Amino acid sequence: MSDNVKAIFSGDRCLSCTACMAACPVMAAIKDYRGPKLVAPAHGRLHFSQEDIEESLNYCSNCKSCDRACPSGVAISTMIMLQRAEYYKRNSHIRAEDMLAHTERMANTVRSMPFGVTLANIGMTLGQSLGVFSAMGITDKRNLPAYAEMSFKDKFPTIAQESSEKKVVLFTGCYINDNEPQIGEAFIKVMQANGYEVLIDREFKCCGSPLVANGFLDEARQHADNNVARILEWKEQGIPVVTPCTSCSLMLKEEYYELFDDEDMRRAGENVFDAFEFLEVLQQMDEFNYDLNDLNQKLLYHVPCHLKSQAIGLPAADILELIGGVTVKTANAGCCGMSGNYGFQKDKYDIAMKIGAKLFERVNKKDFDQVISDCHTCRIQIEHGTKIKPVHPIEILAQAYQFD
Amino acid sequence: MIDSDVIVIGGGLAGLMAACVAVRRKEKVTVLTFGSGSLPLASGAIDFYNSKFPETAIKNLPVGHPYYRIGLPAIKDSINFLKDVTARANLPYTGDLSFQIPIVTAVGTLKYSTLIPESMDASLLGDVKKIFVVGIRGIKDFYPRMLVDNLKKYFSNADFNPVTFDLNLLGGRDINCMDAAQMIADNDELFINELKGLNATPEDAIIIPPVLGTTDNSTRVTVKTQLHAALIETTCLPPAPTGVRLQRALTKYLEDNGARIYKNANVFGGVVEENRITGVVTKNSVREKFYPARKFILATGGFYGGGIVMREFDKPHEPIFDLPVKYIVGEENWSNPKLFADKPQGFAATGIFVDSKMRPIDSDGQPLFENLHVIGANIGGKDFIHEKSLGGIAISSAYKAATI
Ligand code: SF4
Ligand code: SF4
Repeated sequence: MSDNVKAIFSGDRCLSCTACMAACPVMAAIKDYRGPKLVAPAHGRLHFSQEDIEESLNYCSNCKSCDRACPSGVAISTMIMLQRAEYYKRNSHIRAEDMLAHTERMANTVRSMPFGVTLANIGMTLGQSLGVFSAMGITDKRNLPAYAEMSFKDKFPTIAQESSEKKVVLFTGCYINDNEPQIGEAFIKVMQANGYEVLIDREFKCCGSPLVANGFLDEARQHADNNVARILEWKEQGIPVVTPCTSCSLMLKEEYYELFDDEDMRRAGENVFDAFEFLEVLQQMDEFNYDLNDLNQKLLYHVPCHLKSQAIGLPAADILELIGGVTVKTANAGCCGMSGNYGFQKDKYDIAMKIGAKLFERVNKKDFDQVISDCHTCRIQIEHGTKIKPVHPIEILAQAYQFD
Repeated sequence: MIDSDVIVIGGGLAGLMAACVAVRRKEKVTVLTFGSGSLPLASGAIDFYNSKFPETAIKNLPVGHPYYRIGLPAIKDSINFLKDVTARANLPYTGDLSFQIPIVTAVGTLKYSTLIPESMDASLLGDVKKIFVVGIRGIKDFYPRMLVDNLKKYFSNADFNPVTFDLNLLGGRDINCMDAAQMIADNDELFINELKGLNATPEDAIIIPPVLGTTDNSTRVTVKTQLHAALIETTCLPPAPTGVRLQRALTKYLEDNGARIYKNANVFGGVVEENRITGVVTKNSVREKFYPARKFILATGGFYGGGIVMREFDKPHEPIFDLPVKYIVGEENWSNPKLFADKPQGFAATGIFVDSKMRPIDSDGQPLFENLHVIGANIGGKDFIHEKSLGGIAISSAYKAATI
């Protein structure tokens, strides 16, 4: 561990005010977790120089609610992730962690086999019923997300686009690429309607968010270096990198820099935008296309934690409200509990469901036409907890630009 | 891009209150917060003035005092408004300016306040026969015997009975009142059974730490219907469920009524056109964002909340709009050796001076900006520790600024 990581020293700013504890959803759900204040600023600084690690830090879901509550800007969750990586230097991973952290590797393996996707999707149902996943430490109480027949990147060349001087690179992230490519297509529709041509970059790797959360920090660093070099190359050409996945954008924009403290990472972050954040920039430059169909929909918006942490407001809500007849209400029900692959882990499933209960209750009021959320794991959790399938806000905007 | 009628900077008691008042006036409100604000650390009781008869005391304050500028009608309206909003959120508050209500502290002393959660009202303790003081095994910092020893000094005629319940909260981390409140809200059965076991009569009272849930009064209602005696919550060390409940009640009102709350929003400057503010600028790790509005309310918490900072000694500074901060010159006046002593603090009187519309003024008493209002602990000219007026100034200045 390099000791010039600023995050560790941010612990010195802690006032011991306990605001982070009041905000931590995992603490509220179980009493085994000793919580952000104790794990990060209090023990964290010591543990980088000592052998013992506060084991309960493995309960942290990396939702970052603590960071947002802290009045002193302590990089609490990042300190916890750094310590988790230390922990795994001395302790081996269980298979679930390995599998869930390597979403990209899994998908690539599956796609390289004949009938791989079909078999994998059957395999996942089968694996579940045979108890294979459970033995690995993955919960059998929810389905693993199914793979799409064709990945977004493979489909991309067949998607017709008007070429344009104005270009953006779409960072798909693993989930849009492998599981919900229609979100990537919706993104292209929206950007085309706004006069942009969308490029992709096949050299991008998974942003690394699941690796960090599961303590594979060295590997995450390799991904970071690869992606940062690519982003800087696009930056030189004046082409922004945009992503509809809020965990990817948070990672690329600020977590790389916070975790690894490399100036290139900060510079790269300046060239990365959340999809709706980018559309809002277009509004500010008077380049936004306001020619939208009326949709007449009441939307309930579950705001992902990793969007809140970016401090960009709620651009998706504000832009969708430009559509005739659309109202957006925020769910105001806190964290969904899923936190990436946290809720897939067998020993975390109940915690995730307990945290999500408030959101499920809100959604079950059914006083809306659709639920929207930018984060796929939030969407998976909402569907699992309520049987109501949410969509990504960009899919709604794409509908509004659809004139046939 | 969002166009707000009102932007409130700060999410403590003053900021949330101002936002609620503006929302009631059907204005489009955006709240920009950094950190979770003062409420999770506060008792939720709102002190107005350190006097048996706050109304009389406030009426006699000199011209320069913030209360004088706010004016009695707005002060009274603010109390009614807060009672109304909290009642709607099922968190009834009680009290008015004409008298003070006793509440029991975590060590068993009495303190007096003006506007308090109904659950803390200890007025009837003088009339009861038997007082049970209930501790919960596992909660530190709440010792029934110590409370009894102290309470005896006030209520020498009552028959005291200290007891400790075992609610199976041991195991896992050390728990605090927030934890217990959460666990009891999740499952109140055991707690209710233990309380019933006291066989308390309508002539008795039961004093408990603040553990009746973390959102509203619903747990208290369930518990109370099964008891004959009065049930009184004390204050506690932070994080405090009673403060968190008030924060949640105000936040819920805001979100239900379409206000936007943007977290992690690090506001670092304003954009000025002649004598008006046209917008504020936030900065995250990679870029800035401009938020335009018609009116701005600065509720950044004074010295305690970071709204006034002191980089150089004797030069207190308001970092967003660079407003003039008046302070008591001379080091010897800066801090009373006993911070909570009975003497006014030079330090605490430091702040931004405002006119009767809560607009910051220059040395001639003229408003600096037409549409900027400064509220809560940012306001100078008072010593809120000595006066015990922090909460009262917060909500009444918020009410005044928001209704201008
Ligand atoms: S990141 Fe989330 S789960 Fe982890 S300590 Fe912070 S609030 Fe708790
Ligand atoms: S919120 Fe920040 S300052 Fe307060 S205890 Fe937690 S880390 Fe420390």
